[in-house]
Amino acid sequence: MNISGESLGTFLARQTVQAATPLILAGLGELLAELTGVINIGIEGLMLIGCIAGYAAAGISGSGGVGLGAAILAGMGTAAIFAGVTVWSAADQIVAGAAVNILAVGASGLAWFFYQNARQAAHRSVSLGRHVGFQSVAIPGLSRIPFFGPMLFDQYMLFYAAIILAVLIWLLLHYTRTGAILRALGDAPEACQAAGISVRTWRTGAVLFAGACAGAAGAYLSIMRTHAFASDMTGGQGFVVLSLVIFGRWNIPGLIAGCLLFGGINSLQQTLQTTRYTSHATLMHALQHIPFEFFQMLPYVVALLALATLSRSSPGPRYLGQAWKQ
Amino acid sequence: MDPSVPPPTVTSPQSKAARYGVWHGPKVFLLWMAMATGAITLSVLLVLMVLALGGYPALGILHRWIIGAAGNRFNWAASVADACPLLLTGLAAGVAFRSGVLNIGAQGQFLLGALVSVALTTRFIFPGPPWCVMVEAMAAASVAGGMWALLASVLERYRGVPIVLSTILLNFVALYLVRAALHGPLQAADTSAPQSPQLKIIYWLPILIANTDFHLGILLAFAVAVALAVVLGRTNFGFELLITGLNPRVARLVGMPVSRRQFAIMFLSGCCAGLGGAVQVLGVTHFMLGNFGNYGYTGIAVALLGRLNPIGIAVAAVFFGMLDTGARFVEESSLALPHQMANVVKGVIILAMLVASAWMMRRGSRDQSPEAGEPPTPVDPQQVQS
Repeated sequence: MNISGESLGTFLARQTVQAATPLILAGLGELLAELTGVINIGIEGLMLIGCIAGYAAAGISGSGGVGLGAAILAGMGTAAIFAGVTVWSAADQIVAGAAVNILAVGASGLAWFFYQNARQAAHRSVSLGRHVGFQSVAIPGLSRIPFFGPMLFDQYMLFYAAIILAVLIWLLLHYTRTGAILRALGDAPEACQAAGISVRTWRTGAVLFAGACAGAAGAYLSIMRTHAFASDMTGGQGFVVLSLVIFGRWNIPGLIAGCLLFGGINSLQQTLQTTRYTSHATLMHALQHIPFEFFQMLPYVVALLALATLSRSSPGPRYLGQAWKQ
Repeated sequence: MDPSVPPPTVTSPQSKAARYGVWHGPKVFLLWMAMATGAITLSVLLVLMVLALGGYPALGILHRWIIGAAGNRFNWAASVADACPLLLTGLAAGVAFRSGVLNIGAQGQFLLGALVSVALTTRFIFPGPPWCVMVEAMAAASVAGGMWALLASVLERYRGVPIVLSTILLNFVALYLVRAALHGPLQAADTSAPQSPQLKIIYWLPILIANTDFHLGILLAFAVAVALAVVLGRTNFGFELLITGLNPRVARLVGMPVSRRQFAIMFLSGCCAGLGGAVQVLGVTHFMLGNFGNYGYTGIAVALLGRLNPIGIAVAAVFFGMLDTGARFVEESSLALPHQMANVVKGVIILAMLVASAWMMRRGSRDQSPEAGEPPTPVDPQQVQS
């Protein structure tokens, strides 16, 4: 890895934000769904579906935008199945989420197989051309600020979208009637029902939104960050998202802090594994003596401790995971 | 138990047990069988239809899939060997879910069990004959899995952390503990990957049918299923586990040791998963990698398909094993279809079963209960702690 021209700190900061972006995106959707009382452990599967749908659509159409759109639609479609089973049939959310994960592994494997075959039959390359996926967009002027420029203003388009989305959702949750309803759905669905609000319709909306977010996060992985697809490319990131929503205690600033912490730890680890240092040698060598797995474990341990020490007041939405029967 | 207090009606459609499909009676069993058959047919047809649309011979695939799953005794043995870890993680999920405890930490408990068994057969071998070492490894693995699960139970009892959340997090803590160990003290000498050395051949579980994968651990797993069926279904202890999970208040009123039984549910559940990890290491893989399968999460699906009944779970696990083995046979054949297609079948079966049993439950509640529209009781942290 060549990091000349950038100091190590700047490089790491940029990598951190890059690694955190899909987690923030998927986390925003999951957070909203959990606030309404629906826990979807199938978020991993939704991301994987987004990966393959985005990759295949971008490969066939030659356009990153089409890929992103397809990933969002595919994520919403799969989330619609989940919503049908959990919200409308009132089936168990944990089991349904596990089923969605299994289904997604199979469906993405089959889709990848068909995509490869179709491309080979048409004598086209399976991999994306370099121009097909998204490239990072540097905002003129701002991206030249030392350290923060590359970190915050030289990122993929979806990062900016995720931040805008985060601010909008935060405002929505705290300053609007819609936000009050969303939060009430998870804490007091019977009150919503009494106020004439359809619990099922609103929950379905939140689940679909979470599906769209997870699909977009999948597309980020396959057509922005890596320009490749592999059958295990989400690698547990969906479960990481679930943990980070808990870590942030169902608050958007907390969620984003968790995502950045997790992204930072991961990018530090990758840098340690792949780079040779001349400067910074002492610090890096010291870090290399601690088993890295302990750093990776850190966010989960912190989340557990946070739950164990603070949770008496509110361990999440009261009806989290409970079906609503009308 | 005081005979003057009537036992709580666990068959009430409102109960948590009914949510996961614990009903009694031959009629319900037949209905469940019909639902399962329908769901399986639906999902296989769906996958074959997709493949047929893609230009593949549907009947030929089905034929090879069945041959690969159970065509001869070798394929049979491979299917059952595939089913073995799923059976034990399925039992882990089943034991917990039937009491309404959402233990989704079987994955972490499975990993820790595997790790402990590797440690006790490669680096820290107690003196003694090989069978003794293997028994120790499996026992220690079960206890390790059980203790890990117990941690979640303790967090819920004393700190009000919902088990469904703590087990998600504990899965990751276990995963990185395992990777740290496989990178550190347990790492094989000739690699830089997180990987343990191979077990000496004397510590492999004996193969019972020559030239197949049918190892002793499979019998052990089925024995565990039968033992659990007896303990959970036929003893006071099993009944107490059910009631303390489903309705702690009633359990307390009739004088059951509620918190001890709640710990027992999680410990038993974790033991099954931990033993699963050990059996997979000693019987099949004979070494351990940083990535060691997703048996814990699949176990949840197996448990549901088996109606949370140990014998049903055994049947469901064998079925899932057959799906996997058959799909690998199709992949290795001239068609070269990806073996992941088995997962589509599994996923659709579970989703269809969920919808069907929810529908059945709604019908049941219309027939039996006047207050069918009642909202579910949320888990009240205060009540859990009291």
